[in-house]
Amino acid sequence: MTARTVPLLTIAEAGRLIATKKLSPVELVKEHLARIEAIDPQLNSFLLVNERHALTAARAAERAVMAGRSTPLLGIPVAYKDIYETAGMRTTAQSRILADNVPERDAETVRRLAAEGAVAIGKLATHEFAIGGPAFDLPWPPARNPWDTRRYTGGSSSGSGAAVAAGLTLGALGSDTGGSIRLPAAYCGIAGIKPTPGLVSRRGVIPLAPSLDTAGPMAWTAMDCAILLDALAGPDPLDPASVPGPKVSYAAAAVAPIRGMRVGVLRRFYEHDVPASPEMLQMMNRTIATFRSLGCRVEDASLPSVQEYNAVGRVIISAEAYALHEATLKKRLADYSRVFRVRVLAGALIRAADYIAAQRRRGDLIAATARAFERFDVLITAPTAGTPPLLTEQRPDDGFSRPLLTTVANVAAVPSMVVCGGFTPAGLPLGLEIIGPAWGDATVLRFGHHFEQAAGTRIRRPEL
Amino acid sequence: MAAIPAMSAQTISPGEMQLLLSRSGLILNPGQVADLVLAWRQVEGLIASIPHDRPLADDMALTFRLPTPSPLATPARPATKAKAKLPVQVKAKPKAKVKAKSAKRRAVVSPPRKGTRRGR
Repeated sequence: MTARTVPLLTIAEAGRLIATKKLSPVELVKEHLARIEAIDPQLNSFLLVNERHALTAARAAERAVMAGRSTPLLGIPVAYKDIYETAGMRTTAQSRILADNVPERDAETVRRLAAEGAVAIGKLATHEFAIGGPAFDLPWPPARNPWDTRRYTGGSSSGSGAAVAAGLTLGALGSDTGGSIRLPAAYCGIAGIKPTPGLVSRRGVIPLAPSLDTAGPMAWTAMDCAILLDALAGPDPLDPASVPGPKVSYAAAAVAPIRGMRVGVLRRFYEHDVPASPEMLQMMNRTIATFRSLGCRVEDASLPSVQEYNAVGRVIISAEAYALHEATLKKRLADYSRVFRVRVLAGALIRAADYIAAQRRRGDLIAATARAFERFDVLITAPTAGTPPLLTEQRPDDGFSRPLLTTVANVAAVPSMVVCGGFTPAGLPLGLEIIGPAWGDATVLRFGHHFEQAAGTRIRRPEL
Repeated sequence: MAAIPAMSAQTISPGEMQLLLSRSGLILNPGQVADLVLAWRQVEGLIASIPHDRPLADDMALTFRLPTPSPLATPARPATKAKAKLPVQVKAKPKAKVKAKSAKRRAVVSPPRKGTRRGR
């Protein structure tokens, strides 16, 4: 997979070629469908490929191009984590519980991308209901990492990470409650952003824990995420958490220079709270040097510990997820995966007083995080301790026993993105997490874009 | 401003777990109870680490209002010099290795089969 072929374009590149009539949306979609057929049996990233729908939409996009219409997403293949409702297309949440669920309506985010001309090619693997995985006791196998198919993709947007990295789709949507966009982005070597809560509608996205759930884009580059976010962001009066965010073009903002801006390094996070591997520590040191070379002022920053954010996040997720699933669990317990049961059933025992204590503590942590942005434009950290582990190393109780660096941004209600920070000598990707202040989504994308350009991490692709 | 004492982590026994479960209405088999005991021990520790001894008048509402979006928060000035790379030359991917259209790949709105996708 060394030569650049049609599916290995970025969204920005493909969009320009389509707009100038040098690339046919129908050919682009056909190439992706063929690539899925050839490669995905190794990855299990797609739960469903909708060839007929995709080709119909691609032909419509081609007609629109010939009629002179031009949008950045016109004719661009995208796919959805299987918790996004898609009208007439099965939406299972990778669970027996919804095995026959065919929604009548699209999620608002799906509708917005379709309105911009994006072509939905299928539905992507997820952990069961965005928490129970990787699971081997479901009708579908877990997704595998395209950089090494023995390894974990990260989750829960596991198919989104694998499919984008392997060039099976140019863009994907994921969801992020404790790191579910950014962990697969890190382990699969792509870009993904968890936006500020309220910026992107969650209507029609099957919830996990509504206090913390966010929907967001995943793609090969930060710029591609910005292009997708331009279509996704904006108020939705039917999502109670939706907020009119800043009126900004994220793609335009991403290219603004970062010289003179302030970068805070959350060094204690990855040196002490979740100790990183030597390779990850080296990558973080190279990242700091890269930002300095771009003219940024880089200093250490401090927040409460990763463990404090995780305690709050895990209690809220367990309590809310159990509350959402309680009625179904009582009727169909055995139909859920073991991983789901281990991670969610404990929520049955959490007292209301403990849940409220977690929500009150969350207020403190939001305030403490906001104070850090009085000194810094962005904060950076490693998003994981190291490279993707083997699939067989995953334990059902991982969500409780191992704190996640990514959960900090969910609890703090701030935007955060992961970009590919580099590779180990063995060729496995290492992620870099960039966290911004509330509504600083454009700033986060801007740092991600400039880092990718300076570090040159977007050249290598998985060999499959 | 009275304070409420903090909780301490305790270790639950399978018998105590059964008692708690009886109130929840869940009916679990012994293996599922064992899984839950392990998970609960972890969650119990997390709960104990969260401060519970806050002043009573500390919170007016359990909602968190984010700062109002401001143009200053999202500098959107595009750089005049910065330009994205030009698109690469497109080469059509050889199709020789790709199988012809297959019914396997067609979109389906049908129940999944064990270990399969798209009818594979």
